[in-house]
Amino acid sequence: MAMDAFDESAKERLSALADGELDGIEPGSACAAWARNAAVREDWHAWHLIGDVLRSEDLASDPGRDRQLCAAIRARLQQEPVVLAPGALAAPRRARWTVGAAVAAGCVLVVGTFAVLRPSDGTAPAVAVQGERAPVATVAAVEPSMAISASTVPPSPAANEAVVADVRLIRDAQLDRYLAAHKQFAGSSALGVPSAFLRSATVDTAPR
Amino acid sequence: MFLRAVAPLTLAWAAFAHAGPACGQASAPSAGTAPQSEVRAWLLRIHAAASRRNFQGTFVVSGGGGVASARISHFCEGPNQYERIESLDGKQRRVYRHNDVVHTVWPASQVAMIEQRGMLSSFPALLQAGDDGIGDWYDVRAEGSERVAGHDADVLAVRARDALRYGYRLWADRASGLLLRAEVIGEKGDVLETSAFSDVVIGVRPQPETVLQAMRRLDGYRVVRPILTPTRLESEGWVVRQIAPGFRQVSCVSRQIDPPGETSGAGASPPVIQSIYSDGLTYVSVFIEPFRPERHTKPVLAAVGATSTLTQRQGDWWITVIGDTPPATLKMFAAALERRKP
Repeated sequence: MAMDAFDESAKERLSALADGELDGIEPGSACAAWARNAAVREDWHAWHLIGDVLRSEDLASDPGRDRQLCAAIRARLQQEPVVLAPGALAAPRRARWTVGAAVAAGCVLVVGTFAVLRPSDGTAPAVAVQGERAPVATVAAVEPSMAISASTVPPSPAANEAVVADVRLIRDAQLDRYLAAHKQFAGSSALGVPSAFLRSATVDTAPR
Repeated sequence: MFLRAVAPLTLAWAAFAHAGPACGQASAPSAGTAPQSEVRAWLLRIHAAASRRNFQGTFVVSGGGGVASARISHFCEGPNQYERIESLDGKQRRVYRHNDVVHTVWPASQVAMIEQRGMLSSFPALLQAGDDGIGDWYDVRAEGSERVAGHDADVLAVRARDALRYGYRLWADRASGLLLRAEVIGEKGDVLETSAFSDVVIGVRPQPETVLQAMRRLDGYRVVRPILTPTRLESEGWVVRQIAPGFRQVSCVSRQIDPPGETSGAGASPPVIQSIYSDGLTYVSVFIEPFRPERHTKPVLAAVGATSTLTQRQGDWWITVIGDTPPATLKMFAAALERRKP
């Protein structure tokens, strides 16, 4: 069967693709192998799952969830009006190429998601797995080159109104005094004096 | 250790990666929500351990993009508690505590601040009396066990029942109950802040003299004593129409917010009223002072790590609300303030 055709070099290419080390036309053939062969897709998924778990135990998840994510992305791509194939190709070949490209694009999108997750902090994965909308938005927001998806991406869910989340934007000596005054009452917690006190005493907010 | 690798929590998570799910399964977590009495028992145990044990370790707090660590020694002898906290990041700073007297010294600038913190001992009474209502606002579940800082720990998930407060995940030492690690969990399940011992020795020999000696050695230091005068919002001409659900006022003081000796513009600045509210696990400070245009220039609504900040003008007054809660809770406090006296 086709499974046997997936030899070691193809496996190497797929591994290189996962690491973002393929260029030229090779990604296309690796993606094509992915689209053709269920075993390849399984390997691909397993590698990423291993990578995820190494990065964060929180990413260890039911494989079904990833399948749903891929299915959701594919469904969205199908609604896309963007022409994915060059017009010069012959008609019969074009039909096949469109399907391949759609799958390949889905595959690239998934790569994009992983690429985005990698450098971010531990909180990103939790956001990225909450349903089909969030991951697409994540990709588009951080990876501008993903132009394919940009047009249908819903506006990324705005954070609570205009809440500033950057310490550099609000911290000044004056505000620090209020923070220090607030932390003097760190005993107001059932977790006990040392716990709350240690926490506030460890972080330097005093105005000196 | 992992926390010395600093910064992104991912690193910490990665270090724990293979300890993860397997652990959870191995020690079958007791399923279901703990009844309220049990919630209280858990918290009391954590609380008692923090007060009665002798321990020494390195404590790391990270959140909002910052990491701070300190070397901590905690001793108790009879009813007395002693603590020495030495910051390991930034400016050199040492904090000594003997019961509710707290000295903070900055050796480089030769400044020492001496505070009397009555609050440090008053709250647990609520917990013991059983009228804390914590169980009404939080739901506590045991989540099996994990290893933290070389100790076997019971994991507790504390979930907020509404959107006015954050959740927590707590790791309590199985043998002593000491809180080894705590995470503040946001509405989306994201970790806003982590505080944890990266290493700790529990049951060290108490050496309270080392703390007391240091507290007596203040020669050459400029000593600053913030003065907090107890007051009531009502007598200051304020009422709170509706306190955010689950919170109650635990203290109200009138104080100077500027460090003594520092006058801004014309003479001493007017005192600031600070009213403190707690829901048993977290707390909120509301500051009220006369509006001064040269100083109170920018309204702010910010959430950094687990701490939210709100500042806004209200007529002739300037309101600052700070708390380890979602920003919406602070808005509620600010909106409920009403001036009664002309």
